[in-house]
Amino acid sequence: VPAERVSLRCCSTRVSLEDVNRPVIDRIIRVDHAGEYGANRIYAGQMAVLGRSSVGPVIQQMWNQEKDHLKKFNELMVAYRVRPTVLLPFWNVAGFVLGAGSALLGKKGAMACTVAVEESISDHYNSQIRTLMEEDPEKYKELLQVIKQFRDDEREHHDIGLEHDAEAAPAYSVLKTAIQLGCKAAIFLSERI
Amino acid sequence: KMAAAAAAGGLRRAGWRLWRGRAVVRCQLSPPHRALQASAVLRRVSDEQKEPLASSSQQQFDSHPTNHQPEQEPQGPRPSYTGQGGQESEDYESEEQLQHRILTAALEFVPEHGWTAEAIAEGAKTLGLSAAAAGMFHSDGSELILHFVSQCNTKLSEVLEQEQKLVQLGEAEKKPTDQFLRDAVQARLRMLIPYIEKWPQALSILLLPHNIPSSLNLLTSMIDDIWHYAGDQSTDFNWYTRRAVLTGIYNTTELVMMQDSSPDFEDTWRFLENRVADAMNMGNTANQVQSTGEAVVQGLMGAAVTVSNAQTSRAVR
Repeated sequence: VPAERVSLRCCSTRVSLEDVNRPVIDRIIRVDHAGEYGANRIYAGQMAVLGRSSVGPVIQQMWNQEKDHLKKFNELMVAYRVRPTVLLPFWNVAGFVLGAGSALLGKKGAMACTVAVEESISDHYNSQIRTLMEEDPEKYKELLQVIKQFRDDEREHHDIGLEHDAEAAPAYSVLKTAIQLGCKAAIFLSERI
Repeated sequence: KMAAAAAAGGLRRAGWRLWRGRAVVRCQLSPPHRALQASAVLRRVSDEQKEPLASSSQQQFDSHPTNHQPEQEPQGPRPSYTGQGGQESEDYESEEQLQHRILTAALEFVPEHGWTAEAIAEGAKTLGLSAAAAGMFHSDGSELILHFVSQCNTKLSEVLEQEQKLVQLGEAEKKPTDQFLRDAVQARLRMLIPYIEKWPQALSILLLPHNIPSSLNLLTSMIDDIWHYAGDQSTDFNWYTRRAVLTGIYNTTELVMMQDSSPDFEDTWRFLENRVADAMNMGNTANQVQSTGEAVVQGLMGAAVTVSNAQTSRAVR
């Protein structure tokens, strides 16, 4: 499908987008929005179980950062007139179940889940950064900045998870592989539908 | 305004491209098309006295296109009119632009001939082209209808953009959502009035399987435009719900309009008003149901706590 050059003016945020590569930007914003939404729900699930434990504050802090990320992507979605993924209600439930489920395996289980998800997300952000750099770093400067910042945050969450003994979780490698496979599937679907 | 028009054009082009591609492929195979191009070239040459254009155009006739197109994205191999050295002449008209012009001219003849090849032929004749130009298009009039729908959608976007500018400049009041939707749908449906006799025919053609992708695309981008200008900023499943509801309202109102014989279609506009009001109520009702549900849950929790307290105190005693 040839890239479509479209000039767009958004009514609410008065952003004027000249010659944006619509299909690529659409996908990027849709999948990132879905990802942050899912991450929010995962942390919500973890807090529901471990909120009153010793790692509660740590998870809460990471959750707050994800909330900021989601807010930013909500703004970008409106600015670029991107449609959200149809699967949002599904990610709502699946994310919460994953968070709560991993938390029921204990604090280390929750941290293992965090490590797996954050690693997936930061790899995914990295490949998006590469794509945008290949397209046109100047044109997408703002978006690149946002994604780079968020990638650094997710990396930080990943490291926090490791610090809190994620690797000592029961069946760590199996858990991690399964969760990352799920993330890959979620990314694939959210980009398209 | 240019940007918005181009934007709306871009959104339209997605739908346009789906069936344009087919039209282009067919054009390369059909002889009348080549005759048309040759005649168009020669006509232009004689009109404007450009020197090397004729011969080099004839040479370039069978060549593959350069990437010079005055307008949108490349669509694969197409004959192009380029002067020597690959430079474009200023009055270069692409095939798509020519087809646009023919279809626009053909609209005038639709009330008389319907959405048919006759209307297209008449349109071509008013542009000084041979009636055989209608051979460029599908015989069931699909392109004419899709062109018309696309044009109406563009006009609607322009109108909405204008209104928005006025509101931003403070020269007009921001309308409440239900009124905005009502006015937008009414404005769009009013564009059908000159063609209302033949519109049912058009609707049935748009439902043909080979037209459904394009007509669906045009419909969804129009509905998305209306919600965008209405100020919709939802980023959750509401995005889909709102568009689905508005699509339902638009389609049913359109059907009612086909059957309406009241003066200036007042029955249709009343129907529209009621449907929009229903849609607004649906939203309110959903909220009410949710808050009632929450209240009930809280009541049950309170009851459970009371009961467990009572049992504990009985056990203690």
